[in-house]
Amino acid sequence: MPIPVHTPRINNNDDFVRVAHFYVPPRSFVRHGDPLADLETDKATFTVEAERDGYLLRFKTEIGQTVAVGSILAWIGDSADEVAPAEASTGTTPGATGEDRAPTLKAALLLAQYGLTAAEVPVAGQRLSVTDIERHTAGWPIPHRKPAASRGGTAQAPAEAGRGVELTRSEAGMLHTVLWQKEAVPAYLEMAYDPHPWDEYAADFQRQHRLLMNPLLALFAWRLVRIAAEQPAINATLAGEQKHVYDHVNLGFTVQSGSSLYVVVVREAEGMAMLAFVQKLGNLQRSAMRGALRPEEVAGATIGFSSMARFAVTRHVPVLLPHSALMVAHAAPAGGVASLGATYDHRLLHGADAVRAIAALALPPSKE
Amino acid sequence: MLIRKTEELLLRLFSQGLLSGTTHTCLGQEICAMSVVRALSHPKDVVLSNHRNHGHFLTYSGDFAGLIGEIMGRASGVCGGIGGSQHIAFRRFHSNGVQGGMTGIGVGEALALQRRNEDGIVAIIVGDGTLGQGLLYESLNLASVWGVPALFVVENNGIAQTTPTAATVGGSIEGRGKAFGLDTWQLDDSEPGFMERAETVVNEVRLRRKPGFLVIETRRLGPHSKGDDMRAPADLSAILARDPLTSIGLTLDAAARSRIDATADEFVADVHAEALASPEAAFVEARRRCFPAGSPPAMAEGVQDGNISTTVRASLNYSLASLLAGHPEVLLLGEDLHEPYGGAFKVTAGLSTRFAGRVISTPISEAGIIGASIGLALAGFRPIVEIMFADFLTLGMDQIYNHAVKFPGMFAEARVPLVIRAANGGRRGYGPTHSQSPENLMGAVPGLTVLCPSHHHDPGELLRRAVLDWNSPTVFFEHKLLYGRVVDPAGYRELGADPEDPGAAWFPTLLRGASDPDVTFVAFGNSVLLAEAAAEQLAGEEVATEIVVPSLLAPLAGRTLSKHLSARRRIVVVEEAPAEFGFSAELGAVLLQAGYSGSYRRVAPPPMPIPAARSLETAVLPSERDVLDAAIATIIVDIGSAA
Repeated sequence: MPIPVHTPRINNNDDFVRVAHFYVPPRSFVRHGDPLADLETDKATFTVEAERDGYLLRFKTEIGQTVAVGSILAWIGDSADEVAPAEASTGTTPGATGEDRAPTLKAALLLAQYGLTAAEVPVAGQRLSVTDIERHTAGWPIPHRKPAASRGGTAQAPAEAGRGVELTRSEAGMLHTVLWQKEAVPAYLEMAYDPHPWDEYAADFQRQHRLLMNPLLALFAWRLVRIAAEQPAINATLAGEQKHVYDHVNLGFTVQSGSSLYVVVVREAEGMAMLAFVQKLGNLQRSAMRGALRPEEVAGATIGFSSMARFAVTRHVPVLLPHSALMVAHAAPAGGVASLGATYDHRLLHGADAVRAIAALALPPSKE
Repeated sequence: MLIRKTEELLLRLFSQGLLSGTTHTCLGQEICAMSVVRALSHPKDVVLSNHRNHGHFLTYSGDFAGLIGEIMGRASGVCGGIGGSQHIAFRRFHSNGVQGGMTGIGVGEALALQRRNEDGIVAIIVGDGTLGQGLLYESLNLASVWGVPALFVVENNGIAQTTPTAATVGGSIEGRGKAFGLDTWQLDDSEPGFMERAETVVNEVRLRRKPGFLVIETRRLGPHSKGDDMRAPADLSAILARDPLTSIGLTLDAAARSRIDATADEFVADVHAEALASPEAAFVEARRRCFPAGSPPAMAEGVQDGNISTTVRASLNYSLASLLAGHPEVLLLGEDLHEPYGGAFKVTAGLSTRFAGRVISTPISEAGIIGASIGLALAGFRPIVEIMFADFLTLGMDQIYNHAVKFPGMFAEARVPLVIRAANGGRRGYGPTHSQSPENLMGAVPGLTVLCPSHHHDPGELLRRAVLDWNSPTVFFEHKLLYGRVVDPAGYRELGADPEDPGAAWFPTLLRGASDPDVTFVAFGNSVLLAEAAAEQLAGEEVATEIVVPSLLAPLAGRTLSKHLSARRRIVVVEEAPAEFGFSAELGAVLLQAGYSGSYRRVAPPPMPIPAARSLETAVLPSERDVLDAAIATIIVDIGSAA
């Protein structure tokens, strides 16, 4: 079995020594006491000798290199063809999760800035790289990238005098969301409906599943998911000259938490059972309240639902979410009548498309 | 009589609330104060006085208007109002308010006279209250070992502020001089012929060119300072009865006494009027920074020929050899510098034989040798002190903090071209008192220049600039682990120095890496290696890094650094000194003031002793992993907030 020859300490004050000379080539036989190598410091030269008979398998360094005292200088084995042990790993790789496709740290940063998840980006090499992300986003119609050095709007300050104030984190988040409206041609319509069937439906559901909170809005959202699955046109966006119809329905749902507005996203919701959806959305709302949302929980919405009923607002016109064509507006009833509205990208949807969607939404599932 | 009346005027002004600060009169001790100073006749003679300095100063200078103006805070004051009563600098007269603080400086001044073979001597005047100070004994020992012409004068007035000498001094006072092998004398200022005897002592020291120790029995008639005299009336009556000045007066007839009295009153009134007519001392903005260097060196000199392919140790050794060879005013002082040992880290190897007599192995007296070096520097030498372990700088802290930096800061003409080299840093298992990096302590001293080059700088060249060009007290840190490293520019380039930053052009900041980095490391000394290792790891993560390597820690090159760093998104500062109140704290504050809003992390050891065991030391000192984690943390934060 090969044994290591360690780099000796030549004097008390030098932790590193230079390799000056090798006396024997690799694979040659040496006897105990034979000189192997000369090491030097500023003050002294020292000859390292073999501590046993055997074959010098290889030197771990080259002439002229500086090596640490105590490090392995060479290996001596019992036969010339023995293999010297491989060098130990120099450390763990930061950010690596052990998965082949784990993003590099820089790639992880870019993913977050693009609002992407690692699963969405094809990986060319062993790990998800900056190049992978750049390749993936190059074809996108809309420049997703948040300017790296920018901490606010990109527009020039107006000519009139004023002072620049940094955006708060929630304001910056808002800017990030509202920016996209410039990429759509938003239109709005609304229609009145009778809220009582929905109220009864939600109350039944709450009783049946012993829920603590009224699930009305979550059920509305689930209903919207079903409608989107049935009417793929409203679960789409424009990509250049093409309509990009999403494979999955990722439902974006607005949550006001303190001064922050979040759009939490239930991904691939079309495959979820009603109760699972309600529970998932509830969990996301609670995470939002704690400020503990993960990046993928607020990114990638394909359709949106917004309610301002808890603020007793009877009408509001929501902005469209990034890369979506429809955002439903739910409001508080007034005088026994409520209204459902929708902001929609008029480049993709007619008013009739939107009407069809919210008319379906006005009825709870059992009375569809 | 003039001294007494001048001090009586000062006490009157104080009681009228017309003076601020403090004063210590020598009422009753005037004859004692005059004796030795009056006997100094050589133009190169030096007087180092103390807090009770008026009598010494007035005898030395005759500048009564200058003293009263100084204490009144007038522009006409002998030091422009900066020194006040206790801190006076006038030609070869210096005083300071720290008990015994100038005794080492006096030994250095005397060594300068000895080395130049001049006939001057140095009078180092202390009171019996100073006999409790350790530096005094280091100084007595140094004077004895070096055999320099210094006369230590102990004015024994029997009381230390308010505490009787019996409660502050053990053993005999003159026995202290004898114990160090000094010629020792004892005189009494109330005895006839005292002045002549004092003159004889001064002449003997001048003649023998050896240190002496003179104890003068005297008594203080007035308070220590103002209104703090707790002595019994009977004691004061006894002191008044022995008053030497009164005794001399009684040798004259009454008419002569009143004539002298009237003349003195008139003179002091004139001096008072002159001081009153002077405007209040005005602050000179240019003095805000007290670094009297000349023009900056040419940029980017690079590694000198003699330093190519050499280690940090050899670079410093080469530089010291060149300095000694080319500049007779350069001296090396430190413990165990001589051959064949050549210093604990072998930086002075070979020099004591090549430059015999100019590489001085000293007693283990850090305060004493730093003090002596201040004296040498004031006398025109360029001393380089080696402190074996930077931990021991604290032993010389009073000399650095209260003396070395005070001269250039207080007196525009004073130069203290002193460089203190010190081996800092851990990772060698030397334990809590031999492993520290007190950059934060040193950086906090106003007026002190603190350097800590890396092996990417040219350490020898930086040392040369500090010694020859910078002309200010400087601590030059050398990390123990860098001594064996090869000096290697390694692709670093100099960051352009802002001309408003003192020293930034002399002692450059280096940088290397991405022009638009994701993470910027700022590291100095051996910590650069940690930053480089972390940068290498981050490269595998596609994270672009930059490493900024200052050599000048204090005064912080604030404009130079903030100009470069304020646009960076994420900054990680690595230091081996405690971060509290240190380089990274100061840099962070400067960046904050410059409007920096990115991520800023500090990697430094916790505020605890550095253990000796390798495993424990490794856990306490910053590691490559710590640096990496800090960098990753700055990115993770952005990943969290970008979504």
